Amino acid sequence: MNKGVLIFANNNRQIDYAKMAVVSGSLAAKHLKVPVSLATDETTVAWMKQSGQWQEALTVFDKIIAKNTPQDLQQRKFFDGPTSTTAPFKNSTRPSAWSVTPYERTLLIDCDYFIMSDALNEYWEVDSPLLISDQYNDIQDQSRAGWLDSYVSDTGVKLLWATTVMFTKNDETKIFFDLVEHIRKNYRRFADVYRFDNRIYRNDIAFGIAKHILYGFETDKGYSLPSVLSVPDQDMIVDVENGAIKVLSKNLNDYTLCSIKDRDIHLMNKQAVLRNIDKIKETV
Amino acid sequence: MEEEYKNAMEFSKYRQTLAIQRKTLKEKIDAKLTYGFNGGIFKIDRNLLNFVEMLIYKDRSENVVVLDANENPILVEDLVKFRDEIFDRYFSASFEYYEEYQKIKKSRSVESLVS
Repeated sequence: MNKGVLIFANNNRQIDYAKMAVVSGSLAAKHLKVPVSLATDETTVAWMKQSGQWQEALTVFDKIIAKNTPQDLQQRKFFDGPTSTTAPFKNSTRPSAWSVTPYERTLLIDCDYFIMSDALNEYWEVDSPLLISDQYNDIQDQSRAGWLDSYVSDTGVKLLWATTVMFTKNDETKIFFDLVEHIRKNYRRFADVYRFDNRIYRNDIAFGIAKHILYGFETDKGYSLPSVLSVPDQDMIVDVENGAIKVLSKNLNDYTLCSIKDRDIHLMNKQAVLRNIDKIKETV
Repeated sequence: MEEEYKNAMEFSKYRQTLAIQRKTLKEKIDAKLTYGFNGGIFKIDRNLLNFVEMLIYKDRSENVVVLDANENPILVEDLVKFRDEIFDRYFSASFEYYEEYQKIKKSRSVESLVS
């Protein structure tokens, strides 16, 4: 069975997701020693060519799959420590992962997920066609995590973290991804049933509900990927030194300095990632 | 009094960083002690090490079924090879844990903790 990593990146006017994906892809290839492909859109490809990233992308990625630019734009707030900007959020193409992946067994990751260890290599052969991380793991501790980091709503089902998803391309996972797409298209209707906030489409919610439905309207107690170690976007990356990412992590009224090394990490502050992207690249 | 409070706040910051560094180190070692084998996922801990060693001692070292971390039955054809692998991983991870833990323990400032 051939295996590889798939990363989605769709730029908006403020955030260069492709630039992050190149570094994220390089790190995944380095630590997991498998090919990495990029799923993107024509506008992002045009920007990559214009900004001089294209040649590097060709060396990093096994395949670059460019589809039409997603039109269903939604706006969301992107925090950069204490400040924020509102920008388009193009995350609607994720359910197409099943059809675009060139691999039989795929590790699907967000482009702001940086693989700094080989920990996920233990999961390729696990006897389950679909593995999703079911737990958020805050860099500080779980006291900063809220109820909605674990459940889709106050009364809803378990939230899954679509930041890392591993799947085998088969009939069962096709049903799953088709259902995720169905939920995305009928998001408001599902929000009425599952009582979640539908203002912004979230893959984490759609994946959580799809798995809940497919597993007989029960919480699946089978295999899952490890919890997603996350640095929320209200934290700031201050430096990258000797392979360690130094973060100012927000407390009640202050910040705590800490560092992360040799851990797979979800860095949610996109602007801070882009400010430090060259230093993160040095760890490759 | 002002000086005492300032010192306490500084020490508090050090403790916060220390707590995060210890947490992430522990999780790193936990990841290293996760072993994917024959379709299952094993947590390498003292229970597993002892159980496997006991089976070998009792001459049960071929085609043995061992429950993994999810309580699923996993067939281990060659238990001696499996034992050697989990022992290797355990010693390598625990030694790394010890070394890095010592570094953290000796660090007396936020700067040295994150360096």
